[in-house]
Amino acid sequence: MTEATHFGKEGAFRLAGDLFRAREHSTEVEARPISDPKPRPTSFNPPAPKRYYLYLMAPAIAILAFISLYPFFWLIVLSLQDVDIGGGEWVGFKNYARLLQDPRFKDGWILLLQYSAMCLGLQLTIGMILAVIVNNSKYEKFLVTALLMPMMMAPAVAGLLWLFLYNGTFGWYHWIFQSIGLLDSASILATPGTALYGIVLVDVWQWTPLITLIALAGLKRVPRDQLEANMVDGASPMRNFFAITLPNLYPVLLIAVLLRFMDNFRFIDHILVLTGGGPGSATKILPVYLFEVAFKFFKLGRGAAIALTLLIVTIVLGMILVRVFDKPKSGRT
Amino acid sequence: MFYKPRNALYSRISRRRFLELGGSAATALGTGALAVGMNSVIMRSPVQAQSSDDAKWRQYAGSKLTFLSENTPPSFAIRENIKAFYDLTGIEVEILTDDLPVVQQKAGIDLRSGKSDYVLNYVQDKPIGAPFADFYVDLSTMFGDETLPQDPNGYGDDVWFENFLSACGRFYSDEKIIALPYDAAVACTFYRQDLFEQYSKDFEAEYGYRLEYTADTTWKQVLDFAKFFKALRESGADVPYGYAQHQGAFAWTTQLDIQRLMYSHGQWIDFPIDDKLGSKRPGPANWGDEQSVLMLQKFKEFGDASHPDNLANGTLELNTVYQSGNIAMQVQFHEFAASVENPETSVAAGGKTAYAPCPKGDPEWNLTGGPNVNGTNCGIGGIGINANASEDLQRAAYLFAIWSTSENIQYDVLAGLGGTPTRKSVLERPDVIAAQARPTKMPNALTFDAVYNYGIKDPNFVLGPKIPEANEYYSITAQETQQMLAGQKSPQETAFALKEQFDFLNDV
Repeated sequence: MTEATHFGKEGAFRLAGDLFRAREHSTEVEARPISDPKPRPTSFNPPAPKRYYLYLMAPAIAILAFISLYPFFWLIVLSLQDVDIGGGEWVGFKNYARLLQDPRFKDGWILLLQYSAMCLGLQLTIGMILAVIVNNSKYEKFLVTALLMPMMMAPAVAGLLWLFLYNGTFGWYHWIFQSIGLLDSASILATPGTALYGIVLVDVWQWTPLITLIALAGLKRVPRDQLEANMVDGASPMRNFFAITLPNLYPVLLIAVLLRFMDNFRFIDHILVLTGGGPGSATKILPVYLFEVAFKFFKLGRGAAIALTLLIVTIVLGMILVRVFDKPKSGRT
Repeated sequence: MFYKPRNALYSRISRRRFLELGGSAATALGTGALAVGMNSVIMRSPVQAQSSDDAKWRQYAGSKLTFLSENTPPSFAIRENIKAFYDLTGIEVEILTDDLPVVQQKAGIDLRSGKSDYVLNYVQDKPIGAPFADFYVDLSTMFGDETLPQDPNGYGDDVWFENFLSACGRFYSDEKIIALPYDAAVACTFYRQDLFEQYSKDFEAEYGYRLEYTADTTWKQVLDFAKFFKALRESGADVPYGYAQHQGAFAWTTQLDIQRLMYSHGQWIDFPIDDKLGSKRPGPANWGDEQSVLMLQKFKEFGDASHPDNLANGTLELNTVYQSGNIAMQVQFHEFAASVENPETSVAAGGKTAYAPCPKGDPEWNLTGGPNVNGTNCGIGGIGINANASEDLQRAAYLFAIWSTSENIQYDVLAGLGGTPTRKSVLERPDVIAAQARPTKMPNALTFDAVYNYGIKDPNFVLGPKIPEANEYYSITAQETQQMLAGQKSPQETAFALKEQFDFLNDV
């Protein structure tokens, strides 16, 4: 006697439905009979209660909180005080109100955004081009080693090096810029109109290799089958790059762009060495002004207020960047 | 090598154990070294007023002091001769030197946080003295202490060059001395005498008076000189530019640069305060008045007639431009004469450079009705003692302070590395008098007549403004004037912007 006759006609249909229910959900999955549920084998290491893991992580969390969260909350407290290193008094939001009246704060923001946009745009473009060139080169190892050299240099040392190269009296780059008609007699750092380009150039020289290296790592992971299939379909190398290579690079480029974007908001060593924020305020991006306020004028409360606004804007812009770079990826899937 | 029991469980130390032991030892050593090395240490043998001088000098033998100083010749020379101090006192002194802005930050953090990692500080008058004056020991309480050795020449105003003790020692009150004059940088004019003589006739034909520089040469005439050389240069002649200013990254000297021009004309100063003592509440700024606007116009004219790299040249770079033969004239600090007179690094050496007082105010440019003077300013570096230190540390530090500012040491520094003495008695030595004329083995001495006989004397000397917010004041001054020099703001707009920001800064 078959099972169908044993359970009757209705029961037989239900059984068949159960046995082959996978087919109802997906046509891609092969329908198989469900095996009898078996009891799980008893583990020699039964899972511990969640509380146990919490205890294990507690020291690490405490240390993290001490070195990260405590300073953050202390920064907020500082920003609400008129304080120098020796002590201070509670002033509420006066520091923030003062920032709104401070033209150097506003100018610092505008310059910072200009500086970051120029650095990121140039580094991304040149870094990608270099990565493609290095990726197809038989001298790849040598080129990668050569590219690493600027990054190995401390930013302050790089600043000093370029200070000499830009020098209007004996600077080699100054002579080149003058010879090709890019500059008049004044050096690149001596004119407010060109000084910002001078420091952008240093940042681009030092940090484009980082983008190149990250992009190079991404290029190695681009699926060859997709590239070949596209070429079989008649796509040109350029089309191949934009249709296959670039979308595959978005995740790694996102990391590169985020790193450089945050660095531009933090690294001011070369600016301090090259111009100190001048001439006038031509290169006084907000972090340079923050450094002045906190460590030259010793106005820690005002400095903390600037730092907090900088932090908030960095987070917001970072989120926007993640969204922008995430879009093509979600579009593909 | 060592006895090993026959039934020992371990025949050798495991690698893990070895690393653990090594790590622990390194941590312990590092912590110990930091604890000992970073801080001053004090040892004391009690003395009385009747004790010998030798006992008084040696009462803190075995102690260790840390002195944070700017990287100037006296500190290098004293570091070279530090054994002499050790032999005298038995005190070890570590001299840490750095650029002034770094010294300012480190000293500021140390002083304001209540610490005393640096017991002795280089107290540059306005950048360090003005904001941190309250954190230094009042040295006048130690001057008469009979349990401490004292300098036989004393410490009164009369033993130092005029105004020096006030410059670095008195802030906001004349009852307290926070530092003794340790070194000095006083402004004077460096100019290429060879070029002035060569082009004198051409200049006279064009401007109607001789191309020569004297103590009565005015700012207006200096502007003529600058324009003359610039025009020559631009017409293709092989001559340097005429002039350049202290702009660049060092806001403090930018402020001094404009202050000389302002003060020369009617002794104009920024705030209505006692210039020598300063004030914690300076009141409304004088910027924006008729005289300040006129002076900014003239400052802009100087900028336009200057070397094209004007806005990138800080004080050091300006001197490099002069040394390399790219300008014919600079108002510079007299400590730079040693480098200018070095034939290995300077084309202006070998008798080509002459030294003169800073330019005088011009009657045509003076709307105040006040006197026209040779406005001269300075950076007087004092040596001060951190008030956070213990009393014994302060007393031990005092020994170094009076030793390093004594006549013999100042003479050694001048003769050895080209220092700039602060005690009058150094200049009375026959070889120093002889060194003020060429040929000389003490090139800085060539400037002494211009500096000590004219510049630092009243009514020429300007010290201030000594205000607690001095560093932000410098930053604002440099930023606004540089924007004006770059053509981004008019002189009038600049004057009003300065007033507005200074008043805001000082809560007026």
